[in-house]
Amino acid sequence: MTVAPPDTSTKYDLDFAKWVYENIEGGDKLALCMQCGVCSGSCPIGVQMDYGPRKLFMMIRAGMKEEVMTSSTQWNCTSCYRCVVRCPRSVPVTYILQDLAAKSAELGYAQKTNENVNFARSFWWSAKTFGRTDERLVTALYYFSFGLKEGYQRGLANLKIALNFVKRGRMHIGLPHRIKGRRQLKAILAKAEEIAKREGLH
Amino acid sequence: MTDNTTDKKKFTYYPGCSSQGSARHLDESLRAIAPELGIELDELEDWNCCGASVGHIGGGQLPNVALTGRNLAHAQRQGRQDVVTGCAACYLNTHGGNEKIKADVNLRRKVNDALAAGDLSYDEDLRVRHMCEVIVNEVGVDKVKERVTKPLTGLKVAGYVGCQTVRPFANTDAGGEYDTYDDPAFLDDFTEALGAEPVPFQHKTACCGGSVAVMSPDRTLHLVKNILEEAKQAGADVISTPCPLCQTNVEMYQEQINEKFGTDYNIPVVFYSQLMAVAFGLDAKKDAALHRNTIAPEKLEELATGRGEAKPRGAEPASPAAIGRD
Ligand code: SF4
Ligand code: SF4
Repeated sequence: MTVAPPDTSTKYDLDFAKWVYENIEGGDKLALCMQCGVCSGSCPIGVQMDYGPRKLFMMIRAGMKEEVMTSSTQWNCTSCYRCVVRCPRSVPVTYILQDLAAKSAELGYAQKTNENVNFARSFWWSAKTFGRTDERLVTALYYFSFGLKEGYQRGLANLKIALNFVKRGRMHIGLPHRIKGRRQLKAILAKAEEIAKREGLH
Repeated sequence: MTDNTTDKKKFTYYPGCSSQGSARHLDESLRAIAPELGIELDELEDWNCCGASVGHIGGGQLPNVALTGRNLAHAQRQGRQDVVTGCAACYLNTHGGNEKIKADVNLRRKVNDALAAGDLSYDEDLRVRHMCEVIVNEVGVDKVKERVTKPLTGLKVAGYVGCQTVRPFANTDAGGEYDTYDDPAFLDDFTEALGAEPVPFQHKTACCGGSVAVMSPDRTLHLVKNILEEAKQAGADVISTPCPLCQTNVEMYQEQINEKFGTDYNIPVVFYSQLMAVAFGLDAKKDAALHRNTIAPEKLEELATGRGEAKPRGAEPASPAAIGRD
């Protein structure tokens, strides 16, 4: 099942489409895309993407691996699922973009300053360590993932919101909320990682 | 599939992480209205995070599904009753993950191999449901209406459903086929049942930016602005939503939007369950949790504490008939 990651030495990689079909969740459905553009036309944030989903899918077929893997498309997707419910060919657009994001992070295509990746890593740290998302710690860790200076700046910009939330009891002071089965969860996640490395998702 | 040991329908309740933080008022108001609607919420033992919309990037696809696997394994230990959650992201991940596991033996094997490392397993075919779907399909909007003791007369409500409460599962078989994903009616139906007035609202299922709005507001503030602008034009006193992230995003960024776009929005954003708690004559603070909104829903607070006659509690015992469709 596991195919080698796409070769990065050539600009056009004719095996790239095949790699996507076989390794990206929902990628096998990409062949059904008829380039109608309903997805891009439905997308609330399409104008902020390097390419809308329709174009990105064409680029996958064309083997434009570098452009696809470094595209902002998968990072600006908000997971609103409008494209998924509207696609006349039942292409699972959102799922494909989500996995392209995961794979481009995993394979090192995402930059150090990629907000989504830094946010996702902060988030996962909390989920994995405590079994719960501690919104305070995730946000703080995320802000400071850009360095001390930017961390303070981002914190300052949102300080008023944070204080308001504390006042309303929507941001607690004190230890993080934690599950009891933290060791159990850790063991489960470690095992899942191991299986994923060996066999992939499906 | 359901244990009907009491006159209430029992569910395993998955509150989700936001219930202990930004969306405490959703959790508090849901727990308050549930018994009024004939729903018993039995909290999922030691529940963990669902992975939200970034878990697959931070942890990888399979570990992310394993989060859902652990929750389902715990739910199975608690009984075969349906699992219910009020959170859109928890629903998306847990319902979506559950359906994938049920449909894909290979995936179930992998999830169970991982769960075995924690002495757990998931072999049942449980059903994971959204609270709004349960209210529509199990309780019925007419039963919601019957329970109202303090109609929210004169309150204009913009019903903002958002994305993941209805997409992509609302009109699927497994999702209970409770509404459409483009133009759902349930939220306005709730508003009407409570005696309030739903205003026409095109941005009903527009996107607030989701987690992208949290990580980089600059990319998505215009989306929230569009939502606020229409609510303002429509003369809404409050925006009502079922989604924790929608509530937070649309509420907390109003000041930054005003700064950026030179606007003057100050529109309260509440959960539908807070509206219900008030209309059911429950406590404005303890049950409706109105004190948790950073933009005070003043008109709603007035209705909660001032006008309207709350019938004495116990005068109208929850009838067994309030459960399920007759
Ligand atoms: S809506 Fe579907 S078929 Fe049309 S371009 Fe998008 S993915 Fe392709
Ligand atoms: S799910 Fe992503 S790609 Fe699809 S319409 Fe929404 S933001 Fe656009």
